[in-house]
Amino acid sequence: MELLPEGQRNTATEVTWEDQQRINKFSTIIAKKDEQSAILEKLKTDKEYLDDLSLEIELLDEDEKIQYKIGDAFMLLKVEKAVEKIEQDNEKLSTRINEVCDLIDSYDDQLGELKKYLYAKFGNNINLER
Amino acid sequence: MADILKPKNTNPRGIPEAPFIDKVENVVKNPDTDFDMIMQMFQQRLQQYKYMELSKKQQLADLNTKIPDIEKNLDVIKHITETKEEGDEELETNYELNDTLYTKATIDVEKLESVYLWLGADVMLEYPLDEAVQLLDERLEKNNEQLKIVKEDLEFLKENITTMEVNTARLYNWDVERRKKLK
Repeated sequence: MELLPEGQRNTATEVTWEDQQRINKFSTIIAKKDEQSAILEKLKTDKEYLDDLSLEIELLDEDEKIQYKIGDAFMLLKVEKAVEKIEQDNEKLSTRINEVCDLIDSYDDQLGELKKYLYAKFGNNINLER
Repeated sequence: MADILKPKNTNPRGIPEAPFIDKVENVVKNPDTDFDMIMQMFQQRLQQYKYMELSKKQQLADLNTKIPDIEKNLDVIKHITETKEEGDEELETNYELNDTLYTKATIDVEKLESVYLWLGADVMLEYPLDEAVQLLDERLEKNNEQLKIVKEDLEFLKENITTMEVNTARLYNWDVERRKKLK
């Protein structure tokens, strides 16, 4: 909690139940957005690793066996088979990333709407920025 | 006057909904005698919500480690069945024997029909491959359901915490204004 600067007063704006619900909505969506952003970061790193991997693996001999991690163990797989797996994983990952991006976009839209409304009503009495 | 903190609604898990102050005057009828006590009651409720949020977050973290574990198990079993279907006789692995210690093993997948699953409480049981998948799928589903519920609860708590914080700020501001007028 912060004190208002000297000389500035709280212009009393009545908070209605509807306003309260909008404020609550804002705070939950912000929390959800943070959660999804963290997930997105992680997925993007995973994707980078996979992309690097699919480039590197091109350099190997097709018949050579490599160790591919499944679960917590490494399985020895033929390169050919590993490439297949990588492609599958990559596809799955891309779909996930798109889903998460869409979700974040929809949160941003909702946040924008709520911000517009809440600032219009409460002006300087409310702070919705980080 | 203490009635305001009595829950009118609860969520499906019985978490009470935070009261909303319609007009501060209606809640604090005798500011000189009651204000401090009401403020204290509100702060207490806020603390209770925060405590509950903490314990739910712990549950969430537990589920977030459990679910990937189950998924990993399923991945390995799927790989075993795939290898079997392709008619390979052996499966070479490099597995974790202990933390940071890996060693090689060759699995005779042709004769491999079952896996062992930890059931908890120091019990491990042998399951045929298909039954193991079934059991793990069921567990995965249950845990995902639980995850959904915990997330719902956390969202509900978050909303109530926000309401209580706004309430506290409004009570406080109202009191400041009131005192100014008295001077």
